[in-house]
Amino acid sequence: MSSARLPRDLHPVAWWVWAIGLAVAASSTTNPLVLLTVVAVASLVVFARRSEQPWARAFRLYVLVAVVIVVMRVLFRVLLGGGVGGGHVLLDLPEVPLPDWVLGLRLLGPVTRESVLAGLYDGLRLGAVVVCVGAANALANPKRLLRSVPAALHEVGTALVVAVTVLPQLAESARRVRAAQALRAGDERRTGRLRRQLVPVLEDALDRSLQLAAGMDTRGYGRAGTATPAERRVTGALMLTGLCGVCVGTYAVLDTSVPRLLGTPMLVLGVAAAVAGLLSAGRRVGRTRYRPDPWRWPEFAVMASGIATGAVLHWVSEHQLVVAYPDLASFPQVTLVALLGSLVGLLAAVAAPEPRPVTS
Amino acid sequence: MSLLELRGVSVDYDGTPVLRDVDLDLADGELVLVSGPTGSGKSTLLGVVTGLVPRFSGGTLVGDVLLDDVSVVHAAPRERAHAVGYVGQDPLAGFVTDTVEEELAYGMEQLGLPPETMRRRVEETLDLLGIADLRGRDLRTLSGGQQQRVAIGAVLTMHPRLLVLDEPTSALDPTAAEDVLATLTRLVHDLGVTVLLAEHRLERVVPFADRMVLLGADGRVQVGEPADLLETSPVVPPLVELGRAAGWSPLPLSVREARRRARALDLVPPAEAVSVDPAPGVDVRRLSVVHGRTVAVREVSLPLGAGRVTALMGRNGAGKSSLLWAVQGSGPRQAGSVRVAPSGSDPADLKAGGRRSLVGLLPQQAGDLLYLETVDEECAAGGPRTRGLLDELVPGIPGDRHPRDLSEGQRLALALALVLAGDPPVLLLDEPTRGLDYGAKAALARTLRRLATDGRTVVVSTHDVEFVAQAADEVVVLADGEVVSRGPARRVVAESPAFAPQVTKVLGAPWLRVDEVAAALEGRGS
Amino acid sequence: MSTPAAVPVSRRTALVLALASLGGLMMLLWPLLLRVPPDTERIDPPFLFLALLPVVIAVVLAELSEGGLDTRVLAVLGVLSAVIAVLRGISAGTGGIELVFFLLVLAGRVFGPGFGFVLGVTSLFASALMTAGVGPWLPFQMLVSAWVGMGAGLLPRRVTGRAEIVMLVVYGVLAAYLYGLLMNLSGWPFLLGIVVPGHEQTALSFDPGAPLWENLRRFGAFTLITSTGSFDTGRAITNAVAIAVLGPAVLTTLRRAARRATVRGHVDPARTAA
Repeated sequence: MSSARLPRDLHPVAWWVWAIGLAVAASSTTNPLVLLTVVAVASLVVFARRSEQPWARAFRLYVLVAVVIVVMRVLFRVLLGGGVGGGHVLLDLPEVPLPDWVLGLRLLGPVTRESVLAGLYDGLRLGAVVVCVGAANALANPKRLLRSVPAALHEVGTALVVAVTVLPQLAESARRVRAAQALRAGDERRTGRLRRQLVPVLEDALDRSLQLAAGMDTRGYGRAGTATPAERRVTGALMLTGLCGVCVGTYAVLDTSVPRLLGTPMLVLGVAAAVAGLLSAGRRVGRTRYRPDPWRWPEFAVMASGIATGAVLHWVSEHQLVVAYPDLASFPQVTLVALLGSLVGLLAAVAAPEPRPVTS
Repeated sequence: MSLLELRGVSVDYDGTPVLRDVDLDLADGELVLVSGPTGSGKSTLLGVVTGLVPRFSGGTLVGDVLLDDVSVVHAAPRERAHAVGYVGQDPLAGFVTDTVEEELAYGMEQLGLPPETMRRRVEETLDLLGIADLRGRDLRTLSGGQQQRVAIGAVLTMHPRLLVLDEPTSALDPTAAEDVLATLTRLVHDLGVTVLLAEHRLERVVPFADRMVLLGADGRVQVGEPADLLETSPVVPPLVELGRAAGWSPLPLSVREARRRARALDLVPPAEAVSVDPAPGVDVRRLSVVHGRTVAVREVSLPLGAGRVTALMGRNGAGKSSLLWAVQGSGPRQAGSVRVAPSGSDPADLKAGGRRSLVGLLPQQAGDLLYLETVDEECAAGGPRTRGLLDELVPGIPGDRHPRDLSEGQRLALALALVLAGDPPVLLLDEPTRGLDYGAKAALARTLRRLATDGRTVVVSTHDVEFVAQAADEVVVLADGEVVSRGPARRVVAESPAFAPQVTKVLGAPWLRVDEVAAALEGRGS
Repeated sequence: MSTPAAVPVSRRTALVLALASLGGLMMLLWPLLLRVPPDTERIDPPFLFLALLPVVIAVVLAELSEGGLDTRVLAVLGVLSAVIAVLRGISAGTGGIELVFFLLVLAGRVFGPGFGFVLGVTSLFASALMTAGVGPWLPFQMLVSAWVGMGAGLLPRRVTGRAEIVMLVVYGVLAAYLYGLLMNLSGWPFLLGIVVPGHEQTALSFDPGAPLWENLRRFGAFTLITSTGSFDTGRAITNAVAIAVLGPAVLTTLRRAARRATVRGHVDPARTAA
């Protein structure tokens, strides 16, 4: 076993790239077999490589949300979509016409197999995306992720670190205040009680924030050099160009009567300029990092397996339409490419080292 | 050459002068104590050195601050961070990260030090402060003393030459406070770090101080040897008070010195107060409190007499707060009962309103009780008696003031008035002496004595042995959730050296307070 | 009250904000903007936007903090984000009783539009991190709540006293409905699918071939049925009540904090040099 695979926490960014790859894969198909494979891959990797930290337990929640999405989709079909078009009637529910002022809607009506399946497939797609994101949430340490925000967002990242750090203290302060308020007479109405709870907690939290700021400032926070006016102008120009590109590109993607050249190429250009602007804005920050998360081959491997999954299934969606968007009338088919493509994601579990055990 | 120099520094907030024409020189490797009554500008002076004043506080600064003979008066705190380290009053509030190791590294990351240096310094600092076994711990799970040492370590890793500390031991029990102070002296002696330190409880620090800065009410300062300045200082530790009463010169600064001088004194010990059995006030029976899996209070039985002030002492985490909250009935109780005379009812069986008219409790963070925008509104919400009570405690607090803008002592009085508004026969106070200077503490002690004379049962938990000597009739010492000793203050305090006030340490039992000695000296004279 | 803005907004920053808002709005309103040739076989919801929006938000945040935020403002930002995250956590799952906007609106009002925008983003992100609620919906939520915070900061400054509370209540109600509406719009094609000739969909699904009015009608019915009547109204009422009852006290608290966080004492150079 190489030293890169000694038990440690994999770089959180690697997990996120992997998960986004899987999410891209899921979003480019409605084939339930492929989607279920992707979900299975994500779940397997989570079970194999998640740590014992609290955030790792959140995966269940995401699965729950995904299930709710699928059920909602199907329910809406049954509730609103009955009777449109033909198909195999599964269940002939009576139709409930609503009065005109509800926009002439009809409720219920015959339920066809096609409509249920269409809802199921579409719901599965969104559900699978949610599960993939959930996998990233469960695998990547959120605090370490915040430490790897791009330098340009360092300030906002710090605010988030503060928020995450303060949270347990807030809970403690809320508990203390509730107990303390019972020790004095005061407003006993419902809203009054809320005020008695909220105001002291808020005062306490804001007091603390100023002490924290003093602690940060006296320890050198934000002392890194400032950019020259010329650099700042370049940064600003890049960001503005980027945003213009994104705006034009977005519109062109939506309105197909606009020349194609303004679509995707413009978007790419815009994003590139925006990213360059972010990098340029980040240059002024001159800090170093204590024990940074290493980036070694397992990180690359995990990332690659996610990207590969996304790329293959994207290819499938372009070249094997029948597989990517199966007909509702017959049982969906899978090709070897699609299946292997979705299974590549499993390599992440093999490549990633075991998580570091939790010590108190 | 001086490390840091203040030249003609004056600070005023909105026209109110706080410091006036302050000149101060700090040399390498000395421990300088900043002292003065509350509100005399101790924190402001420290802030001028760190740069937090006037940037964070507002106000106007006139004068110059030199670091190694270079003016830094225009430099923000962060630009001084490599040379001047600052540790605030509440270490937890200043922590930026959540584990010990990351906290130690934080400042170095901001300075942009190379990773190898950071790694090395973190290890060195862990060893230097004796906290190596805490490295991976969550900062919030540490005890107060550990937190304070981590906070000092987090500054030390940046290798500052001057360490500025604002009341670093105010929240600590005597033992933890001594640990922290020992750490500081070691830094001064071994590493040559200069330490500038503000502290209310002079008795803890004076023996270690090389020089002292005494702030006056007019914003001017005196700088000199502690022994010289304490001759005339308005705030002095009991030891110095004793020395003044006995007419010793030069004044003794350590207990050892004082003991030697005291051999010459020949005093008639104070008469043992005739102990009448007090009327029963509260009867605590086999009370246990459990938090999660830790037993905070274990089967404590405690009869508390009416008309007495009982002090509850013990380490941080010994179960004092848990016991008080459980007695009041709001806190959790695993088992046991509490009977409040004369009705014999248990506050835990009552609703919040009934509970507080039976047992009043002043919590540790008195500010938690306040939620309105002016003192008048608070008093109106507290009930008709509140304003009157407040004026009895601390007269003359303006009614339109925001409660959060009051001084520590005034805020405490307001909170106490709110608790007393229900006229409870029993009053419990959790660590009320935090952040109070000698004057405010003496006032609080008088208040408690008066409340007890009115027939109330008063219980006060505190670390402050000098306060106990002034206020308490009885002392209960808790350790690990159990009562380890109990009895008249004079006896209990004499039995355990950690809880003995300075006068007892010097003269031995049964001496407790300076006023007793003064009375005895007077008796001898006449 | 003339406290300086906590997060200064320069002309360039305002331009960046406007462009980003335009881009973000298009990504939210895409079903209403979409125009495709009639013979299109299949239309997918543009998952692309889910990836684009974070970049847009990142650019705005980078621009807002470009000059370096004051440490105190940063700390207040962090603390308020945590408080909002807690409020959101407490109120989640209590059937529309959502207190998210109440503090966001008040803080935006006190600390100004730039701060409001950033707070909208960070608070939603913090709450997502805490409750592990990072998902495809997050960028949209962050953007819309950022607008809510910014809008609160742009309300007329001169209004004070009771009129101010009334104004904020009205704004809070509008913001609650608008937030619900925009979030529904972003989720609508994902939830109900898109009508494609030859495949049937629900009568309320987005139909790219249909005229704008028809799609608006469908969306209106969808949002009315799913949430405007229930969740959004609940949210609007809770926010209105919270602002009306707690508003004055919280405003005072926040203003005190704002004063302390933006005060800059000064060193008197003339007398210092002497």
